[in-house]
Amino acid sequence: MSTQPANPPGPVSGTAPGSEPILQARGVTMRFGGLTAVDGVDLDVAGGEIVGLIGPNGAGKTTFFNCLTGLYPPTAGSITFRGQRLAPKPYRVAEAGISRTFQNIRLFPNMTALENVMVGRHCRTREGLLSAIGRGPRYRAAEREARQTARELLSFLDLDRHASAIARSLPYGDQRKLEIARAMASDPGLLLLDEPAAGMNPRETLALRETIFKIRQRGLSVVVIEHDMRFIFNLCDRLVVLARGRKLTEGRPDEVRADERVIATYLGTAPAAAPGTAEQEASDAR
Amino acid sequence: MSVTVLLQLVENGLVLGAMYGLIAVGYTMVYGTIQLINFAHGEIFMLGGFGALTVYAWIPGVAHLPLFAALPLMLLGGVVVAVAAAVGAERLAYRPLRTAPRLAPLITAIGLSLALQQVVSLWYRLPGGGNAKAPVAFPSFGGKAFDLGGVLVQRADLFTVIAAAVCMAGLAWFVARTRSGRAMQATAQDPDTARLMGIDPDRMIVVAFAVGAALAAVAALTQGLRYGQISFDMGFVAGLKAFTAAVLGGIGNVRGAMLGGIVLGLAEELSSGILAHFRDTAQYGQAWADVWAFVLLILVLLLRPQGLLGERVADRA
Repeated sequence: MSTQPANPPGPVSGTAPGSEPILQARGVTMRFGGLTAVDGVDLDVAGGEIVGLIGPNGAGKTTFFNCLTGLYPPTAGSITFRGQRLAPKPYRVAEAGISRTFQNIRLFPNMTALENVMVGRHCRTREGLLSAIGRGPRYRAAEREARQTARELLSFLDLDRHASAIARSLPYGDQRKLEIARAMASDPGLLLLDEPAAGMNPRETLALRETIFKIRQRGLSVVVIEHDMRFIFNLCDRLVVLARGRKLTEGRPDEVRADERVIATYLGTAPAAAPGTAEQEASDAR
Repeated sequence: MSVTVLLQLVENGLVLGAMYGLIAVGYTMVYGTIQLINFAHGEIFMLGGFGALTVYAWIPGVAHLPLFAALPLMLLGGVVVAVAAAVGAERLAYRPLRTAPRLAPLITAIGLSLALQQVVSLWYRLPGGGNAKAPVAFPSFGGKAFDLGGVLVQRADLFTVIAAAVCMAGLAWFVARTRSGRAMQATAQDPDTARLMGIDPDRMIVVAFAVGAALAAVAALTQGLRYGQISFDMGFVAGLKAFTAAVLGGIGNVRGAMLGGIVLGLAEELSSGILAHFRDTAQYGQAWADVWAFVLLILVLLLRPQGLLGERVADRA
């Protein structure tokens, strides 16, 4: 862990970032009464790109995710995915190909791990109610397909042994991984991860980074919110810094690390330490 | 008091409880998805009975069929009417109030319940001009009851228990093994996340109403067959009891609804039957059956507020 180079060569992606962005968010604004939680944020994500979304607590990162996924219809702004403007309806967003995980785990607690992933596949399966009642061939084919895909994803995230365990009984780190498996079940083009490393030990965090690289190899773009700076600086192609609902800056990890405004935002005044170091020390101290 | 009498009470209780359970599933499924106590569900049950009767009375030839051949047609008629009424009520009465304070749909449900009773009472017509202001005759199985060592099992009783068992097995399979069933569980456990999985909550709500209504129609058919009559106000007491059963089992929990129904049916029959058997307590027997049912409810709510199989807050299935 400690031998990580300060400035890693940066994961070289097979699918060239810089090609046509698959996600274009323009001027996304979310007001709750008098509070503007997200204020005119633009975000482009290219195919196969891993983008980090960082910023102090309350910067509006999760609210921005909620806008992207349609949980909150944004007060203003537009979100275009694969060239199509998204209606702010969560199930439409899922159909279009964006899926996410949650900061505080939100699995379906009383369903098994396998069932959770199968529910994640809901919008990619069709099964007429009548066919299900008659147990017709379409029902059986759809069930088999959903089950197979779910099992494949569980083994992709190394969760096979938990397939028939009730979700809430899984160890914490595995619950986080199960959320990723469930999010991937809808064959998304863009995966939004909200603090995926929260509560993980260093070994798990390292494994998670490898997993995210493997996810990118499957052709997905990933946007990650995370407070573990070492993790995020070593993971992302590009970082976007939010502060008080606005985009402060964006750029390659080494650019952002050197940006004095970022340092000031995190620590109030310009300190000697880089933001990554500061956060890392803070989390080490915990 | 002989063992035979006691067993007869248990038999009556099981049959009654199976019917309560079938209706209770509708309360519990709708509550599980939108946290609404659908007080019009008793009337959905009643409409299921009238749907079945309509097929029997109005479609030429059905009344001349042997009853076992007419039953599937009557069941179909009852299910269609009940499901249409429930889905229509959801679409026209409850959905516009989805974001209203919770009291609004509750009052709407009570109003709808009264309205549906009056519609049937005022406008239902039988061939030959009879109306439904008084109880109307329902076909029933002829033939002798089965005698199991002194315990009499009516044919309709047998039909009730088999129908309930088949329905519950089908429901369990539906919830656990189909895409729609899993989506319903997911919606009940975490509606927001379910929406993010691409599940349209409106559809799941319609499915919950429809499945509940179908089971209520089955229950209405069994009640008609057992008593040989149905009436426009039969949904009131049956609905209240079934609601009690749903709360007893843990509202929101489908297996709990069936268990609650059977516990309630047994408690009602046993308490009233045993009390009626002794001279000193006879006056607290049959006439007090409903009292004992609700005393049981109060006791369970005092000792185990979440119901027999219910889990504490936000853990519905």
